[in-house]
Amino acid sequence: MSRRAFFALIVVLLVVIFLLPVLSMLYRSLRIDGRFTLASYQGLMRSSRQWSLMGHSLLLASIVTLATTSVGVPLGIILGRSDLPLRRSFTALFVIPLLIPPYIIAVSWLDLVGTAGPIAHIFGEASSRSAMALLFGLPGCAWVLFSVFLPVPLLLTLVFLRTVHPRLEEAGRLAAGWGRVLKGVTLPLIAPGILLAAVVVFLLSFGEFSVPNFLRYGVFPVETFTRFSAFYDFEAATAAAVPLAAVTFLVLLVEAVFLRERTYQLHPSPEAERHSTIRLGRWRAVATAAVGALALVVVVVPLVVLLVQAGGADAYLEALQRAGGSLIRSLLYGAAGASLLAVLGFLTGHLIETRAVRGWRMVDSLTVFTFALPSTVIGIGLISLWNNPWTNFVYATPWIILLGYVAKYTALTSRISVTQLAQIPPSMEEAAQVAGAGWGRRMVFITVPLARRSLLAAWLVGYIFSVRDTGITMLVYPAGHETLPVRIFTLMANGTPRLIAALCVLMIAATLLPLAAASMLPSVRASKVLR
Amino acid sequence: MDEGVIVRRSIIVFLVIVLGLVVILLSRRASETPEQRTVVVYVSEDQVFSEPILRDFERESGIKVKAVYDTEEAKSTGSMNRLIAEKDNPQADVYWANEPIRAEVLKQKGIAEAYRSGNAQGIPPVFKDPEGYWTGFSARARVLIVRRGIADPPTSILAFNDPRWKGKAVISNPLFGTTTSHVAALFVAWGDERARRFMEDMKENEVGISTSNGESADFVASGRYAFSLVDSDDAVNRMRQGEAVDMIHPDQQEGGSGCFIVPNAVVLIHGAPHPETARQLIDHLLSEETERKLALADCAQIPLHPGVPAPPELKAIADLKVLRVDYAEVARKMVEIQAYLKEWVGL
Repeated sequence: MSRRAFFALIVVLLVVIFLLPVLSMLYRSLRIDGRFTLASYQGLMRSSRQWSLMGHSLLLASIVTLATTSVGVPLGIILGRSDLPLRRSFTALFVIPLLIPPYIIAVSWLDLVGTAGPIAHIFGEASSRSAMALLFGLPGCAWVLFSVFLPVPLLLTLVFLRTVHPRLEEAGRLAAGWGRVLKGVTLPLIAPGILLAAVVVFLLSFGEFSVPNFLRYGVFPVETFTRFSAFYDFEAATAAAVPLAAVTFLVLLVEAVFLRERTYQLHPSPEAERHSTIRLGRWRAVATAAVGALALVVVVVPLVVLLVQAGGADAYLEALQRAGGSLIRSLLYGAAGASLLAVLGFLTGHLIETRAVRGWRMVDSLTVFTFALPSTVIGIGLISLWNNPWTNFVYATPWIILLGYVAKYTALTSRISVTQLAQIPPSMEEAAQVAGAGWGRRMVFITVPLARRSLLAAWLVGYIFSVRDTGITMLVYPAGHETLPVRIFTLMANGTPRLIAALCVLMIAATLLPLAAASMLPSVRASKVLR
Repeated sequence: MDEGVIVRRSIIVFLVIVLGLVVILLSRRASETPEQRTVVVYVSEDQVFSEPILRDFERESGIKVKAVYDTEEAKSTGSMNRLIAEKDNPQADVYWANEPIRAEVLKQKGIAEAYRSGNAQGIPPVFKDPEGYWTGFSARARVLIVRRGIADPPTSILAFNDPRWKGKAVISNPLFGTTTSHVAALFVAWGDERARRFMEDMKENEVGISTSNGESADFVASGRYAFSLVDSDDAVNRMRQGEAVDMIHPDQQEGGSGCFIVPNAVVLIHGAPHPETARQLIDHLLSEETERKLALADCAQIPLHPGVPAPPELKAIADLKVLRVDYAEVARKMVEIQAYLKEWVGL
C-alpha cells in the first residue's frame, strides 16, 4: 500500500470516529417525528434560561482562565528559571490535580467544609455553613477548576521557556535587571504559550461537566446532560449542545489563526540547558513560603482530607470489595485507550507533520474540535451513531468507551507526536530513502524508534485522561462495564463519605500508577518523558 | 545493552501486551456461550442499596448480573431514558425502577412485557399493574421532615400554603424525581383546578426550591427551613445520623387525603436478550426476603408483603392512610403537566 493510500485510510478512520457522531447527532436534532424542523433550536433561542446558562458558562470559564493564567505563568517562571529550592518536587505536586478526575477535588473540599468536616469542628457550624454557601456555586466551581487547571499554564510556561534562546536574555541582562528582561524579552517570546494555555483552560473549563454538576452551578454542559439523561429530550439536548460547539469552534478559530503554526514549530532552544538562573536572593525564603503555601492549599489539603476521611484499611477493603471490578476495568480500559491513543496520535501527528495528504489541516482541526467539545456532547453523538442492532459489536461492548476516549483525547497525543516528529532531521529519512527503503520500513525502523519518547509520553497522557474520564463513560458504558469514576459517581447517592473518600484515593492511585512505573525506568524519567 | 534499545523494546512489548488485552477484552462478549447465564438490569434505585440485593441473587442463583446504575445527577431517570433510547435495540432484560411511574411510562411506550410473578401474590393490587407489565415492591412514603423543636409542627402538606410557614418551607424541584410523581398524583386525586391552586398558593407562600429531596432534608436539618416534603428514606437517614429532625406521615387525620406511597417497581423488558434469567431475577426482587432486607437497610423501605416487619421509624403499610391513586393515571398526568411545571419553576 502506498503512503498516500495508507494515510487516506487513516483520514477515513478519523472521520468515522470524530465527525460521524457529531453529524449523526445534528441530523437527529433536525428530525422530529420523521420531519425536518428547527423547532428544537427555536425553543432554545426563546428560552431566557439558556442565555443565562451560557452566561454562567462563559463567566466561569473566563474567571478560571484569568486566575490560572495570572498565577500559573509567574509560577512557571519561578519553577522554571529561579533558584527556588525543591522546584521539581513543587512542579510534580502542582501537576497532580490535573491527573485526577476534577470532581474528586470537589468531593474533598466538601469533606473539608461540610457540617461533619474539620472546618465545622474547629470553627463551628456557622463557619461551615458559610463555607458551604461559597463552595456550592460560582466561587466553589471557580476555585476547584482553578486548582485542577493551574498545571496547564504552569506546564506550558515551562515548555515555552525552553524555546527561548539564552543569549537573548543574557543580552538583556547586560543592560537591565531580571524584572525588565522578563517583561521585555521573555514574556513576549513565550506569549504564544501563554495564549495557548489561556485557550486550553478556557475550553476545558467551558466544557467541564462534573464539577459544576456536583457543586450545583447551572452551566450549559450540565443542561445538555440533564436534557438527555433526565428528560430524554434528545433533540433539545442536541440543540443545547450546538451553542457549546459554536463557542468551541470560535475559540479554536482564534487558536488556529494566531497560534497553531507556532505550536507546530515548537523546538526547544539548542542551549536550553544553560539558561541563566534568576537569583531570588533575600526573596528566596518568601518565595519558597508563598509557593509552598499555594501547593499546600491547592494540592496537599484536598489530598490529605481524602486520606483522613477514608480512615483505616477497612475503608479501602470495603472500597475494593465494592468496586474492585471497576478498578480493574479502569486500568484495563485506560491502558487499552492509551495504546489506541498513542498509535492513532502518532499516525495523526505524522500525517500533520509531513502534510501527507491534502486534508491534513482538516484532520488536525477535527481532533482539536472534538477535544474541546464537552464530553456529554461526544457521548450523545456516539449513542446517536452506534445504537443500532447491526452495530452492537461497538455499542454493546467496551469499544464504545474506547471510541469515546479516542474521539476526545487524540488531539493531545497527536500534538505530542507533532512536537517530537518536528525535531527529527529530515536527512535521516532521506538517507534511508536513497538507500532504497520504502516508507513503511522508514517509518518502522527510523521514525518510530526516534519518536519513542513521544510515544511513551503520549501513552502516559492518553492513559491519564482515559482513566479519569467521567462524562463520556457515564453516558455510554455497556452494562457490567462501568469504570471507577462512574462507580464513584453512582455510589455518591447515599454512599458513606468514608467509602467515597477511599474510592477517590484508589482512583488517584490508579491514575498515578503508570507515571510512577515510568519514573522507575532507568532512562525514562517521567520528567523527561513529559518534557 | 544500549539503554535506548531497552526502552524501545520495553515500549514495543508493552504496546503488544496492551493491544492483546484489548483483543481479549473485546472478544469476551463474542465468547459468551448460550449456557453462560447472565441477566442485564438497569437500576434507578440507589446503588448502595440495590447492589447487595443483586449480589445475593448472583450468589444464590449462579446467574451473572450486569447492571447499569443511575447517578443522582441524572435524577434517577438516566436508565429509563437509556431504555427508551434502546427500544429498537434492547440491551437490558429487567428494569428496577425506584418508582412505578417510570415503569408505567415504559409500558405506555411498548418497552415493557407482561409478567406475573408468583412471588407477587401477597402484594396489594393497588401496587401492581393490572395487566402485569410492572409490579411494585418495597415502598417509600412521601413524608414531612420537620426541624425538631418548632412549635405546633405541620401535619399536612397543606401547610405549604399556610401563611404561618411563609418562606419557611422547601420542596425539591418538581421537574424531577418523586416530587414530580407526587405533584402528578395530587393532580389526579384532587383534579386540575385544586392542584393548580395548591401549586400557585405554595409559590405565593415563598416556598424554597432545592435540587433534590436529599438537599431539602439537609436544609431542614441545618435549620435553614422549618420543614419539607421528602421521601421517607431521606428523613430516616437524617434521623439515624442524629440530626435534629422529626418525620411526620402527612394527612393521616380524619378527612385527610393520605400519604403518597412510592413503591419500587420491576419491569420485564420487551425483547429482552435473556428472558428466562430476567424472570428469575424479577421473582427474587419480589420475594419477602428482598423486602425484609430493604426494610433493614439504611433506605428503610416499607414492605408491601403482609407480615414482613416495617423499619422501626415507619408505620407498616396496613397502618397508613394512603393517598389512593391509579399509577397509570399519574404517569399520564405527569406527561401532561410537564409544561405547566416548567412554567411554575420558571424555565
